[in-house]
Amino acid sequence: MRSLWREFVKILFQRRTYVGWAGLLAVPLLIVLALQLSSSKPGPGEGPPFFSAITNNGVFVPLAAVGALSFFLFPLVAAMAGAYPLAGEAEMGTMKTWMSRPLGRPTVLFSKWGVAILYVIVGMLLVGVGGLVAGWLVFGAHPLVTLSGTTITIPAGIWRIVLANGLILGALLCMISLAMLVSTLSNSSLTAAISAMVIYVVLNILNGFHYFDFMKPYTFTSYSLAFTNLFRDPIYWHPIRDALLTYGVTVAALLAASWLVFRRKDILT
Amino acid sequence: MADQPQPDGSQPDGLEQRRPDDGPVCEDRPVVLSVHQLTKRFGKILAVDHLDLAVCRGDVFGFLGPNGAGKTTTIRMIFGLIFPTSGHAEVVGHRVPGERVAALRHLGGFVEVPAFYPNMSARRNLRLIGSAGGRVTEQRIGEVLDIVGLLGRADSKVGGYSHGMKQRLGIANALLGDPDLIILDEPTSGLDPQGMKDVRELVRELGRAGTTVFLSSHLLHEVEQVCNRAVIINKGRTVVEGPVSTLRPREDTVKVMTGDQRKAFETARGLFGEQGVRWDEDYVVVRTDDDGVPELVRRLVADGLDVRAVVPAIEQGLEDFFLELTQSSDVDAPAGAAAPPGAVAPAGATTGAHANGAGATGTSSAPDGQG
Repeated sequence: MRSLWREFVKILFQRRTYVGWAGLLAVPLLIVLALQLSSSKPGPGEGPPFFSAITNNGVFVPLAAVGALSFFLFPLVAAMAGAYPLAGEAEMGTMKTWMSRPLGRPTVLFSKWGVAILYVIVGMLLVGVGGLVAGWLVFGAHPLVTLSGTTITIPAGIWRIVLANGLILGALLCMISLAMLVSTLSNSSLTAAISAMVIYVVLNILNGFHYFDFMKPYTFTSYSLAFTNLFRDPIYWHPIRDALLTYGVTVAALLAASWLVFRRKDILT
Repeated sequence: MADQPQPDGSQPDGLEQRRPDDGPVCEDRPVVLSVHQLTKRFGKILAVDHLDLAVCRGDVFGFLGPNGAGKTTTIRMIFGLIFPTSGHAEVVGHRVPGERVAALRHLGGFVEVPAFYPNMSARRNLRLIGSAGGRVTEQRIGEVLDIVGLLGRADSKVGGYSHGMKQRLGIANALLGDPDLIILDEPTSGLDPQGMKDVRELVRELGRAGTTVFLSSHLLHEVEQVCNRAVIINKGRTVVEGPVSTLRPREDTVKVMTGDQRKAFETARGLFGEQGVRWDEDYVVVRTDDDGVPELVRRLVADGLDVRAVVPAIEQGLEDFFLELTQSSDVDAPAGAAAPPGAVAPAGATTGAHANGAGATGTSSAPDGQG
């Protein structure tokens, strides 16, 4: 925990940390602003998931925002968060400073993984809380109408939004772990972050072709809309369970590979 | 073999037996750091080749060698940053690799250039990095910053520090946890003469205060100024090890200035042979024992030369000696470079050629300036 705290202090002293968070917070606020000022509201079923419901119910803002961000900005931020703690320190030359201290290599590696998760979770809280407050103030809060047409209370709705964030976090854990694996192999944080993004984009494109349908169950990118099943009544758990299983296996494999590389890595900078 | 850990190697303060053939290097003092048949191979290059050494408590130990001799590679292996191809290091009884974390509890220091977070103050850097080794108090942070003379700038960002200040902050960081041994990798490299002087004075004071220091350097006179024992390595192998006084050249070196330097050069060569006489810019540099100098002056005067100056040239003497030591083990260096200094130019060559030869030798001590 002390190591995790140290890592957190380090990222708090980086400007890019705040750029990522500011971008994430801006999105729900801009969604509210745009929908409020625009004369033509998206009709039912138009736009990204849940956008059309926002103007009737502000509680949908955090959900619509995290859903929209889960396709690009969140993976990007997660790739950066996963790449920077290891490769960024190698770039600065401070990696050897830490590795000359009495810290085990597992502690170093997993505290860096942990701080990337912490960073993304703070980003999600900014989106969720910022979106909820802004949506509530502008569009008001009402019981939520589910995709199945039933109505659930506001607290129950917020709880399901939290679950949706948790599921999206699972995909982002895959991104973080992917970026970390590359950053154990490269001493450039940019290389690590970009490589993770490239793999993410390529997987997304492959998911778009029927020819590659056979690999869909195994790629973490193909579950990006699984969270919408939380808004059926009753919750349709089957795809959610599949998503969690894929995320879990992917993260475990990437972490194991990262550890195998880092365990014997020569720390030269 | 002797490089196996001794059954009694885990005595209270890590006291261990030395290899029998080496004799009791540390006598009754405990060994703080030892390196046993340490080897590191990068592809075809053998960077460190079965190196052995021992640092005793209270030593200011010089780890001397030219650039590329394997000094930094050895230090990286001691810190556990890289893994040896074979052999191991032992820090207060803890083997590296293997018991790296336990060993690092007794170690402070830096490898190459100390690196810090430029956006943070010196104080915050030390607080953050120091917290990885146990508890650090604000009082201790103040103490170490005071020792290295950075207390006045403790709260400004490290990004604005000069190279010398960063080096000193590196030493402060090394001292923070009050370790049994601090390892400083070329702490004076890249500093101006005043900065070098400051850092050397600092290391000397640490030694006087009882801190055990392992100082890597490529400057023999630096090691002679601050260290009590030293090892000279080249190509990853030990060339000579022992008290610094034994590393001294057996002869003295003087620089001579006369009215006719060409003639003086010939006279000196006539007396001491080709090996002992060379050019250093306008000076004739002569290596001889004490009785040789009065004899030389008498001969120069007898030859009708005006002797303008006879100056002790300790630095040149030491650096020549160092070059000879390291180059004699330099098997595949070009023939010209491998020859001892002074024999670079054949007799009868022009003054210019001599000056070039001397100049090439002189560059080895040039980074140090007059400091």
